[in-house]
Amino acid sequence: MVEAFAVASGKGGTGKTTSTLALGMALAAEHDVTVIDADTGMANLLFHAGLDDADVTLHDLLIEGADADVHEATYERFGMRVVPCGTSLAAFQAADPGRLREVVAELADSTDVLLLDSPAALGSKSAVLPIVLADRVVVVLQPTVPSLSDGLKVQEYARSYGTETAGVVFNRVRDDESTDRVADQASRYLGGELLALVPERDAVRAARRAGEPLLAHAPDDPAAEAFREAAGRLDVRDGSGASVAERFRSAVVPDEV
Amino acid sequence: MEVPRGTLVRSRVVSDLAVTFESVLDEALTGYLVLEPQDALLLDGETRAVLTIEDGVPTLAYDPASDADGEAALTDLASPGPYRVEVYELDAAALAEAHDAPEAAELRVPPALPVERLAGDERLAARTREAAPDDRADAAAADPVEAFLADGETIDRIREEARAEARERAAEWGLDDQLVDGEGDGEVGAPGQPTDAPGATPEEEPFGPGDAVPPEQRDGDD
Repeated sequence: MVEAFAVASGKGGTGKTTSTLALGMALAAEHDVTVIDADTGMANLLFHAGLDDADVTLHDLLIEGADADVHEATYERFGMRVVPCGTSLAAFQAADPGRLREVVAELADSTDVLLLDSPAALGSKSAVLPIVLADRVVVVLQPTVPSLSDGLKVQEYARSYGTETAGVVFNRVRDDESTDRVADQASRYLGGELLALVPERDAVRAARRAGEPLLAHAPDDPAAEAFREAAGRLDVRDGSGASVAERFRSAVVPDEV
Repeated sequence: MEVPRGTLVRSRVVSDLAVTFESVLDEALTGYLVLEPQDALLLDGETRAVLTIEDGVPTLAYDPASDADGEAALTDLASPGPYRVEVYELDAAALAEAHDAPEAAELRVPPALPVERLAGDERLAARTREAAPDDRADAAAADPVEAFLADGETIDRIREEARAEARERAAEWGLDDQLVDGEGDGEVGAPGQPTDAPGATPEEEPFGPGDAVPPEQRDGDD
C-alpha cells in the first residue's frame, strides 16, 4: 500500500514542515511512513528532526555522478523513515531536481505513506515537482487572506497535474470565534477533508528549538492532538507499492542521460 | 491614472509587506509605494501595483500595466513574496489632486485592505484603520477573511489565473505531458487521478532566483 502526499502551502510561515512531521508521526501509528524534505532550495526539515549533522542527505542523491544510495540518506527517526535535505547552496545548485522522481520511486517500493515536504513557492520546475509527483496534496493554510489566496493557487496548480487535494489543515489558528466559519466557507473552494484546526502554540517553537517533531516533544499539547485528528481523517488509499513506484518511473522519470 | 512622480526614499526587497506598511504608517508617509512580487505566481511576471499613501494610510491601488483597479490590483499582487518595494514621497497637494481626479474613484481601497490582503496582519490592519480619517472608515466589523471568502468572483479569478499560469509554466518547464486535460474546475474533493501520461523528457532548467535562500535567512518553519 502506497500513497504519496505532497504537503504544500503556497505561502511561507504556515508551519508546513511542522505539519509534515506531525502528520508523519501520527500516521506512523498505523502505517509505515517515509518523510522526504522535497524543499531542496530551503530545506529545514533536518533541523526539525534533529538531523542537523546528517552525513548523507537528499542533495547527495540528486547530484549527478554522486554514488550515494537512497538508504544512506534515509534515517530511522521517531517511528518514521526521514530523508532530510542539506542546506548547502553549492549542493543545491549542483542538484538535478529531476532525480527526485527516481528517489521517490525507489522509496515507494518499501513504504506505505510518503510525505513530501514541498517548497512554499511554485516559481521553478524543482519547486513544482513534488505536487506533480504526488498522488494527492495536503494543503496547510493559516486563516489569513494571503495564505488562503496562495492555498487556492497551489490547489489549482496541483489539479492541473491531476493531483487532487486530500485535505486542508488550518494551522497556527488563534483563539477566534470566526475561525470555524472561515474554515467552513473555505471548504467550499478547497477540495478534500477539512482535516483540523491546529492552534497556535508555544510548544511548536519549543519543539523546533529542541530539534524534535511536535508529537515527540509535546505529545499531549492541543496542537499535537489536532495533528493526530488530522491524520485520522486522512484516508490513505490502498495501492500497490510496486505499481506506484513503476508509475513514478515510467510516467514522470525523464530519460536518464 | 497618473500620479506625479515623487522622490524615491528607499527601495528594497522584503519578504513580509507588514514591515513596509508598518514603517509608512509610523512615519505617516504621504506618497506612494510601487510593489512588485519577485517570485510571482502570476502570469506574466510583470505584475506590479502602485499604492498611494496619505498620512501613512493606503488610499488608491492600481496596476499601471493592466486594467486592474482598486481591490483587483491587490488581488493580482498577492503572492508568497518576496516583493520589491519602492517608497516614494510626494507633495501632499500633488497627491490630493491625483486623489480627487474623477478616475480615482474606482481605484479607492478601504484603508486596511492592503494590509489584510497582502500582509495578513490583523493587528496592523486595526492600527491602519484607526489612523484613517473618519470619512474613510471601513467596515472593521467585517472579518477580512470572511469577506474574502464571500467574494466568489475574486476567488474564481484567482483560480482561473492559477490554472492558466500552471499550464503556461508547464510548457516552459517541459512538463506539458504531465498536465491532465481539461480547463474545468475539477470536482471539489474528487478522487485524484494518477498521472499516467507518457513519460516526459524535460530539459533541465536553471533554477529561479527565488529557489535558494541561505540558511541564515530562513525562518524557523516555512
